[in-house]
Formats: sequence, structure tokens, C-alpha cells
Amino acid sequence: MYETGRIKMKVVGIGGAGSNIVDRLMLSNPNGVDLTAINTDEQSLAGSPVLDKYCIGKRVTRGLGAGGDSSIGREAAVADKQVLEGIVKGIDLLFITAGLGGGTGSGVSPVLADLASQNGTTVIAFVTMPFTIERAGRAKVAKDGLEHLREVANAVIPLPNDLLIQESEPGASLLDAFSHADAWIERAIKSIWSMMNKTGLINLDFSQLQQVFSHRAGKTLFGLGEGSGENAAEEALENLKLCPLLHTPEFSKKADQLLVNLIGGAGFSIGETQLIMDRVTESFGKDANVVMGAVIDESLGDKVEICVIGTSDISDISIFRGRKKPLPPSLEADPAELTLPKNRKNKEIHAKKVKVEQDEFSFNEGDPRGEFEDTDGFVFEGQDLDTPTFLRRGVRIPI
Amino acid sequence: MYKSKVIAGIEIGTSKISVLLGEIVEGCSLNIIGLGQSSSKGVLKGDIVDFHDASDCVHAAILTAEEQAGVKIDGVYLAVSGSDIEGFPSEASVNVRSRDRRVSMEEINQVSTMAKGRDLAEDRAVIHHLRRPYRLDNRSVEKPLNLEGDRLEASYWTIHGNARKIGDAIHIINGFNLHVDDVVLSALAAGSVVASDEEKTNGCLVVDIGQGATDYAVYQDGNCVMAGSMPIGGDHISNDLSIGLRMRLSQAESLKHRYGTAVLEHKNKTEKVWLNNDFEIGDRPIPLWSIEKIVELRMSEIFEVVRKKLGTYGRRERLLGGVILSGGGANLIRSDNCAELVFGVPARIGENGTMASGELRESQYSVVLGLLKYGLQYQSKVGSEGQPAGIIGKLKGLFN
Repeated sequence: MYETGRIKMKVVGIGGAGSNIVDRLMLSNPNGVDLTAINTDEQSLAGSPVLDKYCIGKRVTRGLGAGGDSSIGREAAVADKQVLEGIVKGIDLLFITAGLGGGTGSGVSPVLADLASQNGTTVIAFVTMPFTIERAGRAKVAKDGLEHLREVANAVIPLPNDLLIQESEPGASLLDAFSHADAWIERAIKSIWSMMNKTGLINLDFSQLQQVFSHRAGKTLFGLGEGSGENAAEEALENLKLCPLLHTPEFSKKADQLLVNLIGGAGFSIGETQLIMDRVTESFGKDANVVMGAVIDESLGDKVEICVIGTSDISDISIFRGRKKPLPPSLEADPAELTLPKNRKNKEIHAKKVKVEQDEFSFNEGDPRGEFEDTDGFVFEGQDLDTPTFLRRGVRIPI
Repeated sequence: MYKSKVIAGIEIGTSKISVLLGEIVEGCSLNIIGLGQSSSKGVLKGDIVDFHDASDCVHAAILTAEEQAGVKIDGVYLAVSGSDIEGFPSEASVNVRSRDRRVSMEEINQVSTMAKGRDLAEDRAVIHHLRRPYRLDNRSVEKPLNLEGDRLEASYWTIHGNARKIGDAIHIINGFNLHVDDVVLSALAAGSVVASDEEKTNGCLVVDIGQGATDYAVYQDGNCVMAGSMPIGGDHISNDLSIGLRMRLSQAESLKHRYGTAVLEHKNKTEKVWLNNDFEIGDRPIPLWSIEKIVELRMSEIFEVVRKKLGTYGRRERLLGGVILSGGGANLIRSDNCAELVFGVPARIGENGTMASGELRESQYSVVLGLLKYGLQYQSKVGSEGQPAGIIGKLKGLFN
């Protein structure tokens, strides 16, 4: 458990795809955040390097997995409710990662999220949505899973694999595309972690994060942009706008609450912050309820990262379930966060990518339809033709 | 005595509203006397989504046309298209009863009524019954009267639409105190203008690609045998570009017009063009390959979906007359090549022929011209047969 700032954060990977992400975090950042893997498939779980792992629902599945049936996943979760309760006990901020479309990911995630939020935990779920070219049954399972999850988690960020393939190299295999999703979720989690745990020029604390996520069943927007060098700030901003999953350039208009956080290296000045803040306000409009923060992370060098989280409350199910513990104090004065970066290896990965990549998470259920988002889809042979053809066919478009 | 009637062909499209006025003289000849246009608001994918906005735009266009012509409109022919138009085949057969086994008029009427009589769901309204050739003892005959046989079959392709949606459009016209004489499927209107008689006889396909919807009509042996509509059009190309290349819809629209081509021309992925070409902040280079690829994928998909919807009618041997494109989408460079690749038959961009001159020759006016042509035929029919019961007769019940 990561004790810094007295916020307890945990990442739980559920199912095969979810566990892969946790494995990845484990390899790149072994001391960073508390990691847990949950699966119904004993064999697959055995291969995970994560220490804290649980095979649930053995009585239901005999440890053989949920076989793509989310009701089996759900049964398994309910059967081992005590185990799940133990996993989320005392956690302030819980990240769930899962691949929806599989039985375990779609079935177990909502149960875990529900248990956690009943305890006052803020739950943020990053889930990958299956490719259109995968069989239609998976899309259905994923959609149902997403709906269930939205009802119980504070924020659900779906990553459509159709869009993720746009970021991979030409001729990349399906496997590459999947690993891309993992890398993005990894960066997203690290960014929120930095937000909570690094020194703030303009501070954002956990209570503000909670405020943004106070609405349930809403749609969540998440984006990262990164820039480096002399004009790092502007570059990051430009890249944020170019991101593939942020399919509508006017996305910010759709968010009722927008939280913008900047993460810069040691040389990140208040002047730069001011500049970028002005530009962000300009692009996102002044009407939106924008909360801004800026933190220093020495490990970033001359790089700047922008992290945008937006939520919209489409329903009245807005329960700011009060936490049972008092709010943790503001983090900026705590010398503990000035500790050296945990992720040296990851820094190297970043350094290699001079050209910045950015990660975005779209508003709707992995169905990037842009202009036609609010209209009835035209479904032909199982595909919604409002979604761009190149996305449905997995053609990579260089920009 | 000199007798004339002024009719208007009105198309409420996703991008613009066109009103074309024609004067029918003596019920047999047509003069085009006025054109009014306005850019469209409140229409998405061929459907009216904002009654007030759409109404204002239509009225503006009607006023312009009336002022230009200096006359009042007597009747309106309205084009319909969009998401909710579907079709199905309906068939019926009768035994030939007379002793000499010759088909009588009575039997033809009976079998036609039976074939058309299939009930639709409550919120659906028939737009057209397209008659296919009669079959007499399994041979195809155009006019069975007095031919010898045992069993007469009639077959229609029934096109129906959402009565509410069609009603919305009619209400807009009625709101201007004008009477809608009939509604016509866009593709049929366009087809009557752009396809030649020879092409219709050999079998051809007319595809009208608008901004919000694509309509299609198949002709065989001179008659339209199948037609339909789907809510995919030029807007989708812009939307794809906007998503794929991360830009505003207006920028995507501009790129589509400047560099869009329906068949990939630049194989080299490194060549780039400027987004805004104004050297201001925010301008950036875009790979030409990406633009062309996105457009090509969407265009060929539009044609592929049409081909699948046609079923056996989309087979090469039934489309020997080729494919004829109309509407704004036909203006996309190499759209005809793209259609050729998908359908495997020659394709061309439709021309409005001798009927139109000057500006009206452009493919975007095919539909309104076709509406007037339809109106002319209808008027001459009224003269000879009395009042026919068109869709308006069927819809009346819904409005009262």
C-alpha cells in the first residue's frame, strides 16, 4: 500500500487483460502502487509476477475461467465476496483495470466496484473495449459490463481497441495493439498517482479529485498529452488536441466538471504554468467548471504532461458517498513526496519517445461516432455505420 | 383555353433546401420558371430534427423561387429520403377463369389490388408501389391483357417510410399554405432524369449520394423495380476525416473538397498538404495518403452496402446499363471509378440532359428536376383518370 500522503491507492487487475496491465505496472514500477490481480483462471493467474493475487470462484468454475460468460464471472465474485471485501478494505482510491468482453472482466469488476464504493472508496475503472472485428457476442458482453460498472464506479474510462490500433506501428499485430492499451492505462494511472503525490505549484488534492468524481453513472473523459524540449508546454497542449480517442475536438463542451493537471520536471516554472493554463482555459472554454493544478515531478526532466479528467452527470444518481475517514491533508507540504522517482525504467521508455504520444478516453461506449454521437445509429450487418469505416476495419491512419 | 398550373419540386436535404418551380402548360409540357435555395438547418441525416429551423429554411427557399418566377405555387412534389425508408417485395396471384384462358382487365386489377393490399405497421406509410413485370405461367410479360395462360402473378416492390417523419416534412410545406400533391423517393426522382431509356432497359442502378443520406434505385426492362434509402452520406466522410485526423468538422469538410478522392491516388505516405494553408498558428501538415484512404474506405463502403442491399439485383449481369451517380457525393473526384470497382460495371456521373440548362445541369439538381418530371406525368394522369389516391390520401387519416 502506498502510504505517502496517507492516501491509500490500489490497482486491481481483473481477468486476463486486467492482470496483464497489473503485471506491466509491476515490472515498470514495483514500489509505486499497491497491486493486486484477480482471475477465475488459475493457470493464467499462476504466470503473473504480482504477489498479491487471488483466484476466485473456484467452486463455480473449478479454477478454469469464466469462459466468456459474464454471469459466471459475477457468480464467482459473489461466491468469494469476503475475499473481494478484504482486497478493497481501507483503500481511498481504487483503480480497476479489466478487459470487458471477457467473462471475468465484465462479471467481476462491477461487483468489486460496488463493494469498494460502499466502503467510501473512490473507484476509477479503466476498461478496454473489444475490437469491432472480434465477434459480436463480445461487444454485447462488453456493453453490458460497462453499463453495470458505470452504475457503481465513480469513473469508468473505456478504451476502444479500435482507436488504440491507430497508435500502433504500421503492420502491428493484434497483440501489439493489446499491449498498447496496457501501456496507456499504465500511464493514466501513473499520472493520477503523480497528481496526488507530487509537490504542487498549484495544488490539487484528493478531495478535489473526489469532487470531480462525485457523480455516478456519468460518462468520463480522460486525456493525457505530453511534450518535451523548449516549447514543452505548448507541444503537450497540441498533442492533447491531436489525441486519437478524443474524437471530437469540442470534447470539453461536453464535460460538466473538468480537472486539468500539469506535471512538469524540476525546471517547470510558474510562468510556464501560467501560459499553459491560459491556453487550456482558452481551448476548454471558460464556461466549464475547470479545476486546475500543477505539480513538479523531477523524473520528467524537460518534459511536461497534461492530464485532463472530465465528468458529466447524465443522471441524478449523484451521490457523493461521504468517506468515513476525514479528508487527508493537502499534500504539498509533505516532504515525503519529494522522494526520487520510482520509475527509472519507465523514464527511459519516455525518453525514447521524442514524439509524444497521448492517451485519451472517449465519452461513449467505445463507439466513436463524432458528429453523429447523439443520433440513432444505422446498423448494417452488426456494425454501426456511423463509426468511421477506417476504425471498424482497423486501418491505421498516420497523422 | 390556355390552362397552366405551377408546381414546385422541393427537396429538404441535409445540406441545402432546393425549390424548383415548373409551369405545366395544357397538362403536357413543362417550363422551368424559378429556383430557390437555402442552406439547411435542423436536418440531420435526411431527417428533420428541428422543426422550427427547417421550416424557416424551407420558407426562405420557397419565397426566393416564387419571387423569381413571379407566380404562386399551386402544388408541391416533395422528395423523401433518410433513415426510415424500407422496402419489401409483395406478390399475389390469381387463376385465369375465362373459358378461352385469356387474361381480362378484371383479373389484372384484382391481382394488383391483392399484391398491394399487404398491411403495414401502424406508423408506416406507403410511398411507392413499384410494379415489376407480370408473370403469366412463369413467363415475364409487360402487358398481360388478352394473353393466354392459367395463372397470373403480380409483383410489387413496396417502399414505405415512417409516417411521422414524412408527416413532419409535409407539415412544413402545409405551414406555408401549400398543398403537397405527392411525395417521391429521391432516388426515383433523380433516376427519372439521369438515366436514359436505354440504360433503364438494359438494367441500371442510380445512386444519389447526398450529404446526409444515400438513395438508390434499380431499373430493369425500363421500369424501376427496387429502390431504397440509407442514412449514410457525405457528412460521414467529413466526420471520418475529423475523427481520423483530429480536426474540426469544418476543416475536414474543406479538406474533403480540396483533396478528397474516392480512389487512392497517392501511394506515397510521406507527401503532405497543409490543413488550413494560411500559415497561422494551428496550421499543420496532413499526409495526403491519410485523407485519401479515409475517403476511399468510406466511399467504397457506401457502395458496398448498397450492393448488399440490392441482393440479386446488384449482380453484374442485371446491371448491364451501368451505375449512374447523382447528388453532391458524385462531385467527389473519381467517385465513378470507385463505383466501378465495387459493382464491376461501368459507372458515370449523371447528367441532367436536355431537360435542364445552365446551372441546373449540375448533378445536385437531379432530384428537383425529377420531381417536376414526376409532377408532369402525374398531372397528365389526373387529366385522364381523375383524382388518383397517392400517399397523401393514405396519410390524411393520420393527420385528422
